[in-house]
Amino acid sequence: MKIAVCVKQVPDTWAEKRLKPEDSTLDRESAEGVLNELDEYAVEEALRLIEAQGGEVVVVSMGPERAGETIRKALSMGADAGIHIVDDALHGSDAIATSAALAKALEGRGFDLILFGSESTDARMSVVPAMVAERLGLPQLTFAQKVEVDGSTVRIERQAEYGYDSIEASAPVVVSVVEKINEPRYPSFKGIMAAKKKPVDTLTVADLGLEPVTVGLAAAWSAVDEFAARPPKAAGTVIADDGAGGVKIADYLSQQKFI
Amino acid sequence: MDFALPEELIALRQSFAAFLDREVRPLEAEHAREFWGEYPDRDSLAPVVQSIRRRSAEEGFYAAYMPEEAGGQGLSVLGTTLLVEDAARSGMRLALAAIAPPNPAGPSPLLVKLPRHLWDSYVFPVVAGTTTMCFALTEPEAGSDAQSIRTKAVLEGDEWVITGHKHYITNGEHADFAIVFAVTDAEKRAAGGITAFVVPADQFRRGKLQWNLSDSHPAELYFDDARVPVDHVIGEVGMGFFEAMTFLNSGRAYIGAQSLGLAEWALDAAIDHAQKRTAFGRPLAKNQGVSFPLARSKADIEAIRWLVYHLAWRVDTEGDALGVMGDASITKYYATETAFEVADRAVQVFGGMGIMREGPVERVQRHLRMLRVVEGASEVQLLVIARTLGL
Ligand SMILES: Cc1cc2nc3c(=O)[nH]c(=O)nc-3n(C[C@H](O)[C@H](O)[C@H](O)COP(=O)(O)OP(=O)(O)OC[C@H]3O[C@@H](n4cnc5c(N)ncnc54)[C@H](O)[C@@H]3O)c2cc1C
Ligand SMILES: Cc1cc2nc3c(=O)[nH]c(=O)nc-3n(C[C@H](O)[C@H](O)[C@H](O)COP(=O)(O)OP(=O)(O)OC[C@H]3O[C@@H](n4cnc5c(N)ncnc54)[C@H](O)[C@@H]3O)c2cc1C
Repeated sequence: MKIAVCVKQVPDTWAEKRLKPEDSTLDRESAEGVLNELDEYAVEEALRLIEAQGGEVVVVSMGPERAGETIRKALSMGADAGIHIVDDALHGSDAIATSAALAKALEGRGFDLILFGSESTDARMSVVPAMVAERLGLPQLTFAQKVEVDGSTVRIERQAEYGYDSIEASAPVVVSVVEKINEPRYPSFKGIMAAKKKPVDTLTVADLGLEPVTVGLAAAWSAVDEFAARPPKAAGTVIADDGAGGVKIADYLSQQKFI
Repeated sequence: MDFALPEELIALRQSFAAFLDREVRPLEAEHAREFWGEYPDRDSLAPVVQSIRRRSAEEGFYAAYMPEEAGGQGLSVLGTTLLVEDAARSGMRLALAAIAPPNPAGPSPLLVKLPRHLWDSYVFPVVAGTTTMCFALTEPEAGSDAQSIRTKAVLEGDEWVITGHKHYITNGEHADFAIVFAVTDAEKRAAGGITAFVVPADQFRRGKLQWNLSDSHPAELYFDDARVPVDHVIGEVGMGFFEAMTFLNSGRAYIGAQSLGLAEWALDAAIDHAQKRTAFGRPLAKNQGVSFPLARSKADIEAIRWLVYHLAWRVDTEGDALGVMGDASITKYYATETAFEVADRAVQVFGGMGIMREGPVERVQRHLRMLRVVEGASEVQLLVIARTLGL
């Protein structure tokens, strides 16, 4: 089985995120870059599938030079090879351009399964997996909390508010996973050392056969015109307890319609 | 001279940090209250410690320093040093269960000197964290002067028969087996007459627990005609001390690393407190009487750090050679003594909370007090350093 996992480098969830004043894009340098958390689950699921059934896992990421660290991390968890799409022309790409680049990189490589996290923690659009499936003309099984591969049939439990739906499709297929699916492993020292020797191909916009004008900030279908910092927290209401503090707090809560 | 940490060790630290955050932190929070009692509730904590040990072993952290053929990761002394530091620095008591050193309950690198056919019993399970061991050298009449031990071993047919009394043995209470040092040639003693054996727990009797100011309570062990097959010897017969010396220096790096991590935690906690706590209308930190001791602590910590990393680097580049012993003693002595002072200043900055069980630094100082005595007390380190000076 040949599995691709699309992974994105995102700013550390705990770090304060900032937009760059010059072009209103995310300042990716100001915070530590990490492997998008849900993509870790996708990598883990791919590794479990090939540990059980044999095969190869290739991680694919689009991002600046330092997104290479994220590919390395997935390799140190146990993936076999990486593809890094890196090109200044891609800066500021929207989901449409991102999916175009990913689809071009994935196309024609014989993947049976293309795994995604179901959402990135920075932009959180949750649309890239569906867009890639559409571009490649493949069925999509999204929000999987469980994946089973039985010959060429891929079956998932799709997480829903009321429980789950069982759905299946024939490989090749695009699958996005949710957090419930597994517990990702931590890269071990042996894994980290082994990752240093694993191959990572880099691809540019030209290598992908895309026109530079169709990607990047200028090509985005929507644009950020203006942004403002979140206002600082306003001072809270202090109620001094003069014996009737409890009553005053209850009054306040009911005024605010909390109770 | 290059002081940069290798990138693979930086990646390993991040991986270990994620493990501590995701798997240990929730347990630490859940069990926090059990640590505050008169004595920690050891019965309810033991299974928690055990589960962390096993999970960490599964993920390849716990015994990463053991060679790959023994089930470890072949991690360098420097790499292990960083993990020991990070576990201590996390401030979580349970994090200390996630990495074996310097706790002698984890696999001793000495074990790989056992014959291969014994590895299934004594090497792989302890590396996997499913069993634990202890290191039984000290006796009531032989502590610093370890070569005066009286426990003896006599060969009877194809068995060694061991007789003697050990005390202050960490994890003596739970160990599945012990590495036991015994006299096999009373004439030669340290110069070829002391042998290291591996002895399963069904061959010794556990005496009383030895309650002390730290949170780790060693035990007495009795060997009344304990019997082990002739192959249960670590390395060569008579060479027990020399075998043990091979890993002495890395062991001291790990004690230094734990002291470093605890000192960093204590300083960070004290800085935070000094900024938040107000007295006489301003934060404590606005008084130089508070900020200067903390500034000194920072200088002390950096001195400890570079001694510890340097020792680890020397062991990695030169091997655990005799020539490194002077540096190992300097590091063990300086790291434990200085970290204790750092902790003491932190305790003072916290005021009453400093000496409360539920506070963040009280236990740190107690632990560091213990480290000044064990694994060669400070005076014994000074003795070694003096010898390197020709004194
Ligand atoms: C501040 C800010 C402003 C933005 N403004 C706009 C805007 O105005 N218009 C607009 O269209 N977009 C905008 N974006 C979205 C940005 O372009 C997205 O990061 C990008 O389109 C990918 O979408 P996503 O991260 O939401 O992916 P999701 O669809 O949430 O990601 C799902 C999965 O797709 C995969 N994936 C996503 N990105 C990559 C990648 N680069 N490489 C490999 N796999 C990947 C991962 O498996 C991920 O888990 C903005 C983002 C930010 C942070
Ligand atoms: C909590 C704890 C855990 C332990 N765990 C283990 C373990 O797992 N395995 C094990 O084998 N042992 C263990 N020990 C024993 C420990 O290593 C010894 O306690 C230590 O080596 C000191 O020996 P001692 O207690 O006999 O003191 P002594 O040797 O009697 O020393 C008493 C004091 O005299 C000083 N002194 C001794 N000789 C000299 C000298 N020549 N010059 C100047 N000063 C000197 C010492 O530094 C010390 O301050 C543990 C001890 C404790 C307290």
